[in-house]
Amino acid sequence: MLGLAADGVSQRAAERLASGPAWTGTGSAGELVWGSCAGSGAKPYQVAADLSGPSGPGYKCSCPSRKFPCKHALGLLLSWAAGRVPEQAGTDSAPAFAREWMKGRTARATAAAKPKAPRDPVAAARRAQQRADRVSAGLAELETWLRDQVRAGLSGAAGQGGYRHAESIAARMVDAQAPGVAGTLRRLSPIPVSGDGWPGRLLAEYAQLHLLIRAYGALDALPAPLAATVRSRVGFTTGREEVLAGPGVTDHWLVLGRRDLLDAAVPARRIWLRGRDSGRFAVLLLFAPGGTFATGEGTSAGFAAGGGFGGHPDAGLVPGTQLHADLHFYPGQPAMRAVIGARHGEPGPAPQPDETDDVTGLLDRWSAALGQDPWLAEWPAVVAGVPVPDEPRWRFVDGSGRAVPLLGAEPAWPLLAVSGGYPVALAGEWSPAGLTPLTVWHGDRAVQL
Amino acid sequence: MDAATLGLTRRPLRSTELGGVAGRYSGVLDGQDPAGTVLDAAALVSAGQRAGVLVAEGVRGPAAADPDTGPELPRRAASVVRRAMGAEPGVLADLLAEAGRRGYRVPAPMLPGLLDLAGRDVSLRAAVAGVLGSRGRWLARYRPDWQRVAEAGVARVPDDPAVWETGRRDERRGYLAQLRARDAAAARELLAAGWARETGDDRAGLLTVLADGLGPDDEEFLDAARADRKSAVRDEAARLLARLPGSAFSRRAADRAAALLRVERHALRRRLVAGPPAEGTLAQVVGAAPLVLWEERFGLSPKQLVGLPVEGAAVAEVQAGWRMAAVREGNAAWAEALLVGGPEALGSAGAGGMSGVGVAGGGRGTGWRDPAQGRRPAGWPEDAELAAVLTPQARATRGAALLGELAAGRVSLASAGAAAALTEVAGYPGPWPDELAGAVFGVLRRGLAAGPGRWSGPLLAAAARNLPVTGPHDYAAALTELADGSPPIWSAPLRRTAGAVAARRTFLEEIR
Repeated sequence: MLGLAADGVSQRAAERLASGPAWTGTGSAGELVWGSCAGSGAKPYQVAADLSGPSGPGYKCSCPSRKFPCKHALGLLLSWAAGRVPEQAGTDSAPAFAREWMKGRTARATAAAKPKAPRDPVAAARRAQQRADRVSAGLAELETWLRDQVRAGLSGAAGQGGYRHAESIAARMVDAQAPGVAGTLRRLSPIPVSGDGWPGRLLAEYAQLHLLIRAYGALDALPAPLAATVRSRVGFTTGREEVLAGPGVTDHWLVLGRRDLLDAAVPARRIWLRGRDSGRFAVLLLFAPGGTFATGEGTSAGFAAGGGFGGHPDAGLVPGTQLHADLHFYPGQPAMRAVIGARHGEPGPAPQPDETDDVTGLLDRWSAALGQDPWLAEWPAVVAGVPVPDEPRWRFVDGSGRAVPLLGAEPAWPLLAVSGGYPVALAGEWSPAGLTPLTVWHGDRAVQL
Repeated sequence: MDAATLGLTRRPLRSTELGGVAGRYSGVLDGQDPAGTVLDAAALVSAGQRAGVLVAEGVRGPAAADPDTGPELPRRAASVVRRAMGAEPGVLADLLAEAGRRGYRVPAPMLPGLLDLAGRDVSLRAAVAGVLGSRGRWLARYRPDWQRVAEAGVARVPDDPAVWETGRRDERRGYLAQLRARDAAAARELLAAGWARETGDDRAGLLTVLADGLGPDDEEFLDAARADRKSAVRDEAARLLARLPGSAFSRRAADRAAALLRVERHALRRRLVAGPPAEGTLAQVVGAAPLVLWEERFGLSPKQLVGLPVEGAAVAEVQAGWRMAAVREGNAAWAEALLVGGPEALGSAGAGGMSGVGVAGGGRGTGWRDPAQGRRPAGWPEDAELAAVLTPQARATRGAALLGELAAGRVSLASAGAAAALTEVAGYPGPWPDELAGAVFGVLRRGLAAGPGRWSGPLLAAAARNLPVTGPHDYAAALTELADGSPPIWSAPLRRTAGAVAARRTFLEEIR
């Protein structure tokens, strides 16, 4: 019961209320509990709680507290758990406010459970064909643009509007309903002003887009998983419901690490998982609604704490815990992005990962993955080694003396502190530029970096 | 690459020119459009580059830290420390000092945050240095600002003479302190032997170690140190010598001062007469002399001496000198007497507008009337400084009396006098006796109607640090009760203070 409390203060307040004399008119019927609590206002607060319901327990209280559940609801439940609330025969004896609220709750629950009206299949097929045509046309246009860039010389890109040189072609891709490609173009737009060696970087990106367009052109000849990957990168999304309808992988999923990308156009959170029994990796991608928010330390910190990700049930997964659940993977290869389906319990503490890679193992996994999806930008890593605080850049060295660069805006001092020169297990994101550290294990306790 | 940069119209490319991975797959490349060829080739090369990342080989990690021997802070205690890191530094320093005294160290993940805080805030350094453990000192070597924090501490070091020869500053100080505790003379001799080779900062730091176990045998060395080039060393040597009443230094100071003051009797009343000093101010000369001199010479108690009327305008100088001596010596009896009052004949306007409040509730203030209209002699020690040398019980009684005046409404909370009293009480080290704690609550209750303001902030911050957490009274609960019954504007500050007190209680229980 106390686990429902939002924080320690309301927990203590609830405990005091539960044992105090301030309650009148309490009662319960099945999963519904009600009562009135004298507070610091003139009228007593009307409190009710319902422990049933498909989306978890619900609370109602007329006090002005913004905590959810408030101390009155929590105190009422504690009282009830202690047996101090008399059980009634049915909900008729409940006071009016409790009955009204309960009626509203059941109405909302049934409305949500009703299946959506089936789509008109003919219209759907027509829309799909329309989109496919638009995408093909758009990609053809992009291919021409790419070839023109190469023919005219990349050095011209620096002059064309500087860091926004690909802006207009990106907008055309949005019109062509290929948002994945548009995003890539926007991302590579600032490369001409990114410093030495930019032509090589720009050419590599253009080449990747070119490869994607070639792949899309030959979509029917590709094996199904690769085709799904290509479609996804062009910008065709698969709905969450559709993914959940597919088969699930049941396992105890260890939360390896969490990375927030708040500077992107749409703020996103990546949560990396690994199955304890299957050894499979997975990533959850959460996006924040809106996408713009006021700058300022307070708001970003609060945002990152999970509040900004819209109360998404997975946003609060903490590295170092593990969750017994079914994971459903999105189509494509290699299988990585997933959503959590059925949960078989609450997240619980987990020991440190028992299997770790060395640098060679990590690179082997990475190149194998790249062979399946040449457009991959990052890959999960769980490596054992020691941080090396060199200048100009820190490195992470494994038992064999091979080291990779450690990325990050600031040096990962907690990583160095936990290691102390001794090997530690480190989970992070690998990319060709290096390893971004996310979580290090200090004994069995996970430390977020 | 060149072709792509300059453009194919200027530099044509044939697929047979390509080497490497692109050359090997040249059959797959676009044969018709040179731009396509370039893009295809680039795709192959890029994929190859990203897959075949080169890694550094033969890299060695840093030398590992020595294993830690002492216990790590238990979980709940560590969370209390973590919460305190976001709050007042005073509470954090107290918690860490307590943990350090009992030999605990903080868990490794907390080290960077604490080192950062102590790097920015000097007042935290000693406390953080005490809980670093060998892992913390190892980590501190990687950043100069963290290294300064680690050096603020006194490391527990093995009894290895090599530490004295080659150790870091904090290690050498630790070695000398340990030796001094065992064999005071040996420590002094060791220090004296290498004195000439020490740097100025090291001389100043190491000299303070002699404060422990100070005795007449140290006089010769300290006398020599009074001629040091560095002023910090000279001052410290003088301070230490002043604490040796038998030393020649003290005796000279006493003689100089004794020559200046004498007691005369006129009819039935006694009077103190002061002559002009040969060099320096009267306050300085009187301040350098041991207070016991006056008691022995004139056969009067501190209270009687302080109450003696002084002829002329020298009254302020004499009081200042006695105050300085009381603070330097830590003399509680004289401090009490000086706080109660000055000579009877003078006005009782009192310092700072507070009506006369004394330690024993006496009616006279620390008044002195200076013909120069309130200008005090240089270096006049404030009441708060004197209060710091009182015994804890005497201080609590004084504090309760000061706060009682505020609670009774005789002085406005916004006045300068109230501010002085509140600042003084807020400076009293904890844990506060119950008498003082009760008086603090009295003031808070009086101030509820006025609302929180500049007056309440420092008082609540001090209460968070110093309200006692052992003993029968649960002050956290009392504060929460007060918050429940107060206007909502008080809710946050009072509950925050209650939380800090409760957290300290939890902390002490966890590390007992």
